[in-house]
Amino acid sequence: MATGTGRGSSRDLLRLGAQKRLKRRILLVGLIFAVLSGLLGWRLVELQVMEPDRYLERGLAQRIRTVTLPAVRGAIVDRNGVDLALSVPRRSVVANPGMIEDPAGAAMALAGVLGTDIDVLEARLSSQRSFVYLDRQVEDEVADNVMALDLSGVYAQPEQARLRPGDGSALALLGRTDIDNNGISGLELIYDGLLSGTNGEMIVEAGLGGSTIPGGEYRVEPAEQGLTLVLTIDRALQFEAERLLADGVEAAGGKGGVLVAMRPESGEILASATVTRGDDGVVRPSTEHKVATWTFEPGSIMKPLTMSAILETGTAAPDTVREVPDSVFVHDSDFKDSFPHGTEQWSVADILRQSSNVGTILWAQELGEEALYRQLLDYGLGSVSSLGFPGEARGILTPVGKWSGTSLPTIAIGQGVSTTPIQMLTAFATMANDGRRPAPTLVRGSLDDGGVFTPTQTGDQIEVVSPGIARSVVSMMEAVVSDGTGTQGQVPGYRVAGKTGTAWKPLAKGGYGEDRDEVRYVASFAGFLPAEAPELVILVVVDEPARQTYSGGRAAAPIFSDYAQFAVRQLRIPSEFERTGLDQVGRVMATTPARAFDLQAAEETALAVVG
Amino acid sequence: MTAVVRPAGRSEAYPDRGTRSSATSKVATSSRPAFGAMGALTVFGLFVALLAMASLHSVLVSGQFEFDALQDRLEYGQERSQVLREEVARLESPSRILSAATGRLGMTPPPNRLYLPAVVPGDPLRPLPGPSENPFSLRVR
Repeated sequence: MATGTGRGSSRDLLRLGAQKRLKRRILLVGLIFAVLSGLLGWRLVELQVMEPDRYLERGLAQRIRTVTLPAVRGAIVDRNGVDLALSVPRRSVVANPGMIEDPAGAAMALAGVLGTDIDVLEARLSSQRSFVYLDRQVEDEVADNVMALDLSGVYAQPEQARLRPGDGSALALLGRTDIDNNGISGLELIYDGLLSGTNGEMIVEAGLGGSTIPGGEYRVEPAEQGLTLVLTIDRALQFEAERLLADGVEAAGGKGGVLVAMRPESGEILASATVTRGDDGVVRPSTEHKVATWTFEPGSIMKPLTMSAILETGTAAPDTVREVPDSVFVHDSDFKDSFPHGTEQWSVADILRQSSNVGTILWAQELGEEALYRQLLDYGLGSVSSLGFPGEARGILTPVGKWSGTSLPTIAIGQGVSTTPIQMLTAFATMANDGRRPAPTLVRGSLDDGGVFTPTQTGDQIEVVSPGIARSVVSMMEAVVSDGTGTQGQVPGYRVAGKTGTAWKPLAKGGYGEDRDEVRYVASFAGFLPAEAPELVILVVVDEPARQTYSGGRAAAPIFSDYAQFAVRQLRIPSEFERTGLDQVGRVMATTPARAFDLQAAEETALAVVG
Repeated sequence: MTAVVRPAGRSEAYPDRGTRSSATSKVATSSRPAFGAMGALTVFGLFVALLAMASLHSVLVSGQFEFDALQDRLEYGQERSQVLREEVARLESPSRILSAATGRLGMTPPPNRLYLPAVVPGDPLRPLPGPSENPFSLRVR
């Protein structure tokens, strides 16, 4: 019994000891778990309560991808919707120099593909910066070849490049953008805000491989694409203007030239070309839009403006005859005609047809300074046009109070006054438009992504002379082309009204030159057709033609004629013969997209008025 | 034969245990099928729900993948259209046509230009004569 009890008690003791150890172990494990749980709990509190933003931001930064959606710069198209300038995707080759182990080797490999100097590339790849451009907006093939080299730290970054498919055509007008697609000159600068658009943004929650997490964050602020700018220019007319002007200036041995064409009713400029002779002696399109920025003394193309003032004020009628001698002395100067003649009995129309300086001066003296000055101001001389072109000149038309004794006779014949080609073109368009001065414009409107066209607001037309007077001047100018100094400006099948100009060019040292070899000329021809219902006004100016062809009738009028023959076909302007019976059933004029648009718009307007 | 010594206090508990176990077995006998069925149903339901969620998720993922792919295609298409648009404009440009005509094709400008009338056929005053024979047929002499 005692033995049994003793054995039992030792067992009990053992059991009790084991239980105690178990309890202690359980307690210890529980304690460890409690501490661990406490630590985890504390960490949880720290993460979730005390500083949740930091980790939320870190998590979001890992998952949320913000992608800029670049706005594509709008295209510039001609009046028929043909692209003149547009943006296309290109890739730029960029590098992170910090990731490039062997800049010299990488430069050598890249030089062959990019065609860039090895030293330049090596310098860029050895730079301390984290981002360098190696070449910008390269062709796709070049970018592919670079990526095929598999150089670490070298990437191809998508960008938009601005291209002009017509090469240098209309470059002076269109202007340029910098490498980052910001307009820096010409229409690209004027309409930069409209063409640029606004970048968009896409916020997306992406997984490890860059794929979008379904149901995750996804917000898109679409880019507002730049608007398409629709010009009044016709690409074919522009190209032909540049080509014929370059040929004409070459033939005349000139230093340069300008050709600009306009629709008189709307002021829309159809072509605006400038060419200059380069240092290599080749005549090519200029990068300066001289139609708006260049000033010249217009010479005899000013006479129709003077004559319109004479007729408008009732000083004379087209058939009023007066005695016109070979020369006239005014103040301290002797003014002569360009050709010798005796004292003639010439009407106002004869004076214009012969381009007589003396006759014009004599009538201008009867007109008076103030009336002539006011009339020239009304034609838009001495002020910038509505084009708003960067660097546009206003010309020089001295206020009448500052005129000298010879100002009236010189200004009346187009000397001692400087104008821009666009001012003279607008003045002639005024006469072609029944005496109402149109506001010249280069832009028809803008086109958005959805194809909605918004026309530009055209400026108000100002009545300069009455329609009857304008038509009288047009008739007189018709005689200039049919039987006067401008016969080389004739266009077969069309009645043309125009005026030649042969101006002395002021020299840099002052004056016009003492001897014959020193004198430089500016030859010009301004005209419009069909004279009975003008649809096209053209001004051609040749700067410093050679001595053999220095006159407007020989240097500029042939260019006008060649260009007008092309332009009337391009614009579907019917000839006098074609115009006969055009309203009969079955006779239809071929049309252009722009003309069809105009006709449709006119039809809709008419319907709206009727409705 | 092995004698089993049990604590006195505990021996009384055995009948209770036997009673409890018989009671439990009675309850278990009646409720086990219901619990089992419910459990099985719950597991099955859970499985179906998980399967549905997985299917839905896979549909979402594949839809998102397709959406991303379509968006990539759209971007590529837009870029390609711009490139082609530029190429068309370049190929149609008068300067390129002129240089191709005078250069590669060896054409020369005509001494005189003959302009066709701007009035299209249908002119009752001066209709254009129709072709006398098929201008596209080749005649072998």
